[in-house]
Amino acid sequence: MVNPVLLIAVPLGLAFSLPIFGLISKRLEKYLPVIAMLFNLSLSVYLVPRVLTHPIIVYIGGWAPPFGIDLFVGPVGIFFSVIIALVGLLVSIYAMDYIKEGDTGKYHVLFLLLLTGAQGVVLTGDIFNLFVFYEILCISSYALVGYLRDRDGLESAIKYLVQGSIGTGLVLTGIAFIYGLYGTLNMADIARQINSIKPAANFITLALIITGLGVEAAIFPMNAWLPDAHSSAPSSISAILSGIAIEIGVYAIARVIFTIFGATDILSFVALVGIITLLVGEMSALKQNNIKRMLAYSSTGQIGLIVFAFAIATSYGIEAGLFQILNHSLSKALLFLAAGYMIYRTGSMEISSFEGMGKRMPLTSLGFTIGAFSLIGLPPFAGFASKFLIVKAALTKGGGLYTCLIALALVATVIEGAYFFRVVQVLYFRGSNENVTRQEAPVVALVPFFVLAVLIIAIGIYPGPVMHVLNSATSEFVHRIAYIQGVLR
Amino acid sequence: MSFLNANTYYIAAFGLIFIGLYIVMAKKNLVKVVIGLSFVDSGINLLLISIGYIKGGTAPIFSRPGISPLKMVDPIPQALVLTAIVIGVAVLALALSLVVKLYQQYGTLDIRKIRGLKW
Amino acid sequence: MRKIIALIFLAILLWGITKPVSRIPFGTNKIKVAEHYITKDITETGAANVVTSVVVLYRGFDTLGEVTILFIAAIGLASILYLPRKKVSDEVLEESSLILRTGCRFLFPLILLFGAYIFVHGHLTPGGGFQGGAIIASGFALIFLSCRERVVSTVKLGVVESLAGMTFVAVGLIGLATGGYFLLSFLPKGTLNMLFSAGIIPVIYVAIGFKVGSELAGIIGNLMERTQ
Repeated sequence: MVNPVLLIAVPLGLAFSLPIFGLISKRLEKYLPVIAMLFNLSLSVYLVPRVLTHPIIVYIGGWAPPFGIDLFVGPVGIFFSVIIALVGLLVSIYAMDYIKEGDTGKYHVLFLLLLTGAQGVVLTGDIFNLFVFYEILCISSYALVGYLRDRDGLESAIKYLVQGSIGTGLVLTGIAFIYGLYGTLNMADIARQINSIKPAANFITLALIITGLGVEAAIFPMNAWLPDAHSSAPSSISAILSGIAIEIGVYAIARVIFTIFGATDILSFVALVGIITLLVGEMSALKQNNIKRMLAYSSTGQIGLIVFAFAIATSYGIEAGLFQILNHSLSKALLFLAAGYMIYRTGSMEISSFEGMGKRMPLTSLGFTIGAFSLIGLPPFAGFASKFLIVKAALTKGGGLYTCLIALALVATVIEGAYFFRVVQVLYFRGSNENVTRQEAPVVALVPFFVLAVLIIAIGIYPGPVMHVLNSATSEFVHRIAYIQGVLR
Repeated sequence: MSFLNANTYYIAAFGLIFIGLYIVMAKKNLVKVVIGLSFVDSGINLLLISIGYIKGGTAPIFSRPGISPLKMVDPIPQALVLTAIVIGVAVLALALSLVVKLYQQYGTLDIRKIRGLKW
Repeated sequence: MRKIIALIFLAILLWGITKPVSRIPFGTNKIKVAEHYITKDITETGAANVVTSVVVLYRGFDTLGEVTILFIAAIGLASILYLPRKKVSDEVLEESSLILRTGCRFLFPLILLFGAYIFVHGHLTPGGGFQGGAIIASGFALIFLSCRERVVSTVKLGVVESLAGMTFVAVGLIGLATGGYFLLSFLPKGTLNMLFSAGIIPVIYVAIGFKVGSELAGIIGNLMERTQ
């Protein structure tokens, strides 16, 4: 039996050793993230069937909770692990060729540590440990946003750093309150005692933690950093930030609301915030002329949709939210990676400069189109299934509020369709048709495009196996008591 | 007065946090903003430490035989603060390096002038 | 305008925060997990300093994360302040005075020794790897400021940093291999208040001491040389 702690320990050990490998040979550095993520992907896929029957609970150092830190490797954890390892692997393959400027060794260390932080957040069962891994994720993304060291990158990195630090400061204050009120930091132990205190104190603590985590998840009033950071980072990092980092924020919020606090009474408010985020994001995306800013605003919108789906809080709703996370990770990673090479070839981020790309870079454009169609929710792709599930969940939940909100969500989908079709039109139907030389992206970049596109189509056509995992993951969020009893045996 | 006596540490901790937040929101010099972040960190650390304090308590170290475990202060917040301090230092170092680079590019630290992107 | 908005925002936050704070009485004993640590510490870990045993053993995974965060900061700072080609510093640095140089030569080894003392005795006295590492880094700061002709190699600091980090992970993995738990304290507990006691705490704290010392020294060095 393989211990799931290796999912964190092995990438961490490799990241620590990477500078030494860099001294031996500069070429070696870029393969280490690929090796680490390949290991993580195979281990997490190997663990999936075991975890579905029985969540694995790992005691770090052999101390039983609540006295030590435990890892709770349940269906949710393993679902996110697979996504992180998969997207991480593909982006690190892409980055082998894409990253040429600056001190590349340091880029690969930071990249690997960012993924390790995300991995730790989804597995840990201790709230302070969650905070520590969350900081690993955040701090390495601050550094990576500023990696290119141009004016935009530095400015958005410092902006992101200031807002992110205030957010994590709020989270830490909330954790201090939790410790003062309950005397423990283990999530299951807190969840067991949470109703023994008057609601007012709990509510403020919950509000502090959600607000703090909401900064990283870019939920509406706290999303000012996102378009700048995602658009000025290197494209491989934008793909990770959009495809993984903000989803981790949503995961952390869902874990806090559903498992720790069991706070179902605030969810209609959360649903409202989610829809506002969705509309603000899509409206702002519509008027962008810069492709990366457009994709970044679209990420804000998608996060709003995911938050809305989670806030429906029935098992349909959570399942739809998780499915949408999967769809968004794959599609947005594909979009950013494809856009990265188009920008590299044209030297401009303006959408109008991509005229005739359908001829110049046919495979890259095809990848971009598939990603865009999947995010809009067109039928043969994964996005159709997830959006369909969200609509179904909102309608079965019933009530005037959710019906109104889902109508607004559909309006947002139309807006989304409008701006993505505009880009696709520029790619294929604008510009002169003669004298275009083919300048395809290199093979290492085409491999991730191909894998992501195939996965998007395959999941869209056969959602069965994914739904099987999502069913168990949903029940982990819904059945809070089972989680508590599982940890505190 | 008894309220003040009973809550001195909390008042000081939140005082620091609020001063820090005010600096971050109101000041226009980037170095001052970074100082504000460090204020917030110190305030939170003080809050954590004072949550674990016990009146008349001793340090949780069995340095000589015969120390009663009952009068020891809570060791967990101290461990947490150790972590939080290190995180604070890390963020501070990174922020300062960004500020240095920004100053080299723009020749100013005024955030009203550093706005190539929309705030 | 900005100031008024900030004040209003802070007032709302203050009003909210009073509620949970009033439920947390100051200076009284109310903690259940901590009581377990204090009463069972000697039999379970063998460390005299309870804070240390919490930091390294009970919550050792946090400490691994914390070390990683400092590593990220050092690497991130170096990548942001990175210079494409190593500039040969043409400008000759003004040599420091004889008193400064002698004082620095005299103090530097003593500071290193004190730092090492702090992190080696982390399980017995107040202090530990982070504190000791910070003291060692202050010795390097002294070198950077007063003995400017002495060049401290950031590459060598980086190697020490990497080796120390790998040691930490390796100790964790040995625990996994021998006892089935990551970061298990697989060494004997020894007698209380002796230097060789408390399982893996001294090993990990020595690694952390080296790591923190070299990282902070590297951060100071990078800020010094790359910003002139």
